[in-house]
Amino acid sequence: MARQRALRRRIVVVTLVVLSVALLTVYFREPSNGPVHRVEATAMHVVSPLQSGTARVIQPFRSGWNWVSNLFSAQSQNRTLRRQVQQLRSQLAQELVAQQQAAELKGIATMMHKYQVFPQGTRFAQARVIARSPTVWYSTVTIDAGSDQGVRMNDAVVNGQGLVGRVTAVTPAASEVTLITDQDSYVDAMTEPNGAAQGIVAGSVTGDVTMQYVDRSEKVVAGQVVVTSGMKGSIFARGIPIGQVSAVAQQDVELYQSISVTPWVDFHTLDLVMVVLQ
Amino acid sequence: MRQRAPAIEKPIEGPHIALELGRLAALLVVATLLQTAVAANVRIIGANPDFALLIVVAVGLLRGAEVGAAFGFVTGGIVSIALFEPPGVRSLALIAVGFLAGRYAETADLSPNVAPIVSVFAGTLIAGAITLVSQFLLGRQAPLAYLFDHWLVPVLILNCLLAVPLFVATRWWLKGERHARISEA
Repeated sequence: MARQRALRRRIVVVTLVVLSVALLTVYFREPSNGPVHRVEATAMHVVSPLQSGTARVIQPFRSGWNWVSNLFSAQSQNRTLRRQVQQLRSQLAQELVAQQQAAELKGIATMMHKYQVFPQGTRFAQARVIARSPTVWYSTVTIDAGSDQGVRMNDAVVNGQGLVGRVTAVTPAASEVTLITDQDSYVDAMTEPNGAAQGIVAGSVTGDVTMQYVDRSEKVVAGQVVVTSGMKGSIFARGIPIGQVSAVAQQDVELYQSISVTPWVDFHTLDLVMVVLQ
Repeated sequence: MRQRAPAIEKPIEGPHIALELGRLAALLVVATLLQTAVAANVRIIGANPDFALLIVVAVGLLRGAEVGAAFGFVTGGIVSIALFEPPGVRSLALIAVGFLAGRYAETADLSPNVAPIVSVFAGTLIAGAITLVSQFLLGRQAPLAYLFDHWLVPVLILNCLLAVPLFVATRWWLKGERHARISEA
């Protein structure tokens, strides 16, 4: 009896492990419309409304948490205003959510007008972040817009602060956005003004963003703005702001400069984004 | 005349199986939503808790190795899909965690208060090692020191802090006794 049970246990585990490995192998070998990807799309159809609902439910708590964190960093103001704020806290939490959304939308509109990045007639799909990868391995978020809203693979995603990332998986109701901080993210970029120094902005598991393959002869200094270069064939339009050069390192033995970039987008508080439709 | 209770536990069958599966399915949905929509927003000491792992450990402890492994496989698959991660990696890690938690409960004499914490501590380490190797094989590289400082240690602490509350909640939901060895201890 005990032997049978042990045998059954082993069979169950081995079967599950083999299934997992097979799933992983098929996922990487099949095309993007293969059976596993189709199952993924179908499952997302069910899961994404639940995620969206949960994200909406926790949004006031998240805003409240951020709000409390900000209060700790502004203690002097906090002491004088605490009594008043406590009375208004419940109203304020909802108000902050609405204000944050309005500010983000205004920021997006301002960026588009200021930088004149996107040509007239460019279509956008507004989307909300409904889930994000909680591990260090992936810098990705899930948004509540998919092929039903016209989103396609490799669409650029922006918000009022700049470039967020690109769409790397699409289902009818939701999409995955790979952030520019992800290890698999590569964005052709240039420094402003003049766009003299061109290179590739790449992310990493540590979250550090670097501009790579910039020729040693190009003069780059801290503080310069980095934008997308929009080279021929690029999925990003020219001039979408990415961030600012924070440090430049040159070593005699290396062909290229090592440039650290601080992204302008605050990825921790990412909520509303715009997908630039192709 | 009152009948004596049977000496051998009756196998779960009929509506009981349906009820058990229903409870596990609901737990699966909760684990998925906690892991995909809530975990990323709960950032304490620089890390996010792994709710899916915590619930898989609890199921393993309460229902044994086979159910733990199967629950880990399904949870890993659904969470991977919901986060657009390659399916399989998380499943592999959670199969191991669910199975070992179950075996731990079946074979070791444990204090009921310590079992969830010990299992979660070991489970987090095992899942971390499996994930690390899998990601390395998939071509994603990261400095080990960074992973240790910014991922493994904070997640270990956070998971251990949440182990008992989530274990108690899961036990309440499954309306189950802990595995015989643990409940006897």
